[in-house]
Amino acid sequence: MDWFVVTSALSLAAMYGLLGIGISLTWSSIGMLNLAHGFTFAAAGYGAWWASKNLVKAPTSGTDALIVGGAGILIGVIGGLCVGLIAFLPLHDRPNFPIRSLIATLAISLAGTQVFLLWFGPLNKPLPKVFSPVARALDRPKLEFGPISITWDRVGAIVCATLLCVIVLTWVRLSRRGIQMRAMMQNPEGAALVGVSVRSTGMLVMGICGGMAGLSAVLLSSTFFVSPSAGTQPLAKGLVIALLGGLGSVPGAVIASVLVGFTEALTAKYFGTGYTLFAQYVLVFGVLIVRPRGIGGLLAQVRE
Amino acid sequence: MTLLEIKGLSAGYGPLRVLHDLDMTLESGERVGLVGLNGHGKSTLLQAIVGLTGWQSGSILLDGNEIGGRRMHGAGRTTPKIVRKGVALAPQGDAIFPGLTVRQNLDSGAFSARAWRERRKRREGILEIFPPLAKLLDQSVGTLSGGERRMVSLGRAFMGDPRIFLVDEPSLGLAPIISRAVIEALGKIDIGDGAMIIAEQDLGLIHGRVDRMLGMHAGELKQDIGDALMVGHPEQAPTLASEIEL
Repeated sequence: MDWFVVTSALSLAAMYGLLGIGISLTWSSIGMLNLAHGFTFAAAGYGAWWASKNLVKAPTSGTDALIVGGAGILIGVIGGLCVGLIAFLPLHDRPNFPIRSLIATLAISLAGTQVFLLWFGPLNKPLPKVFSPVARALDRPKLEFGPISITWDRVGAIVCATLLCVIVLTWVRLSRRGIQMRAMMQNPEGAALVGVSVRSTGMLVMGICGGMAGLSAVLLSSTFFVSPSAGTQPLAKGLVIALLGGLGSVPGAVIASVLVGFTEALTAKYFGTGYTLFAQYVLVFGVLIVRPRGIGGLLAQVRE
Repeated sequence: MTLLEIKGLSAGYGPLRVLHDLDMTLESGERVGLVGLNGHGKSTLLQAIVGLTGWQSGSILLDGNEIGGRRMHGAGRTTPKIVRKGVALAPQGDAIFPGLTVRQNLDSGAFSARAWRERRKRREGILEIFPPLAKLLDQSVGTLSGGERRMVSLGRAFMGDPRIFLVDEPSLGLAPIISRAVIEALGKIDIGDGAMIIAEQDLGLIHGRVDRMLGMHAGELKQDIGDALMVGHPEQAPTLASEIEL
């Protein structure tokens, strides 16, 4: 067993999962395919970078890491709310909302890239490694456990993302708000009749998904530079996972992110990094041909 | 005590005007049957009360507070607020959530913090009224029969402690024996000092189970038809709305 492949697959799965679940949740509750999710991701990255430049002195301590992480998540939430404000609130009771919002979020994503380019310039900005204080506190650069040896950033990413996934999954399944969110997509009129305001619940979803995108931007700090178009690839990965898992299914997205993570790590190891995207899309096409609704997706007639 | 007072209510969809300057009052503790033919505005009246029509004007007072008023667009935008004030509608077509289980569908009706805390107790109360649901609790609602879906929809509306309970065509699309069971179950629901309006085409079904009946014709309410037609001659009571001269 090659533990390096396993751990890198898991950490990839964790990050992609956070993005994919965000896209899936937005679709399942308000019926919007959020193409501006990458914009939110990049905005959160810039937020974390700005905090690391202006609020924190190197080398980062524990509280500094929390500040940087918090800034990333906060900007993610704000970014998500802004997308909701532009693409969801004014459009949601117009005819053909899914297409209109798709175009609106695409526009935000394109315009956002240009705004970042104007404000921050085309250069890559490095993010501080938020889990390096752990390594220093324990005086060990890596977690070693038998044959396994993982950097703390990777451990932190896997643990944080898994924790958040579990929390969101339980919350959606068991809480009052969670049931309301799922109810909203399945029957908006029925949701209104049980006192669910589509507008405020929709904005809540946008905020949560933005925060998740923000967290994944912070967690990717060990491998990721912030640049104006930094959100494009994570968006593509998130969409792939949301589609593979079945749009709207959070458990499906979790399984899909593990599948995609392992495919990526394995192809990188045995065939070279050039083939990772190719292998990913082969996987997606294969699954969607056999099971067009995705791994955990509802049948279309069930949704209506 | 007057629970609901409607004055000069007009409502419709786009250029279509369905309700014409309609007045009605609902006293606390009463069950009212709303009868009339298809397409004469029964459903629209119930939907206008919760703000689900395309547009509306006129006053609707709930306990003296305005919940109607003039509204030009945004069907359903004010609905959650009105529902939270204690008006529940079990709509035509049920509007249930097919991907959720029966339990989750019922729980979704418990929208206030208090109702959510008491959701187990309330669910049990509803299962007493609709016993067939008891063994279906963990089944997805999309797989249920029409009658069971109707029970879920009615039960969900009752989870949040409504004071005004609006039921739109409870017998629609059900086999006669099942619709009778559903109507009987509705009679078991304790409305306390609230009130219930049942819109129905089949007079025979609700006859004797409501305190008074209002006829509806071409978007206008007719006088109280229940007494005139039925008191003293229940055996001659018309069984279909089409038999009433309005």
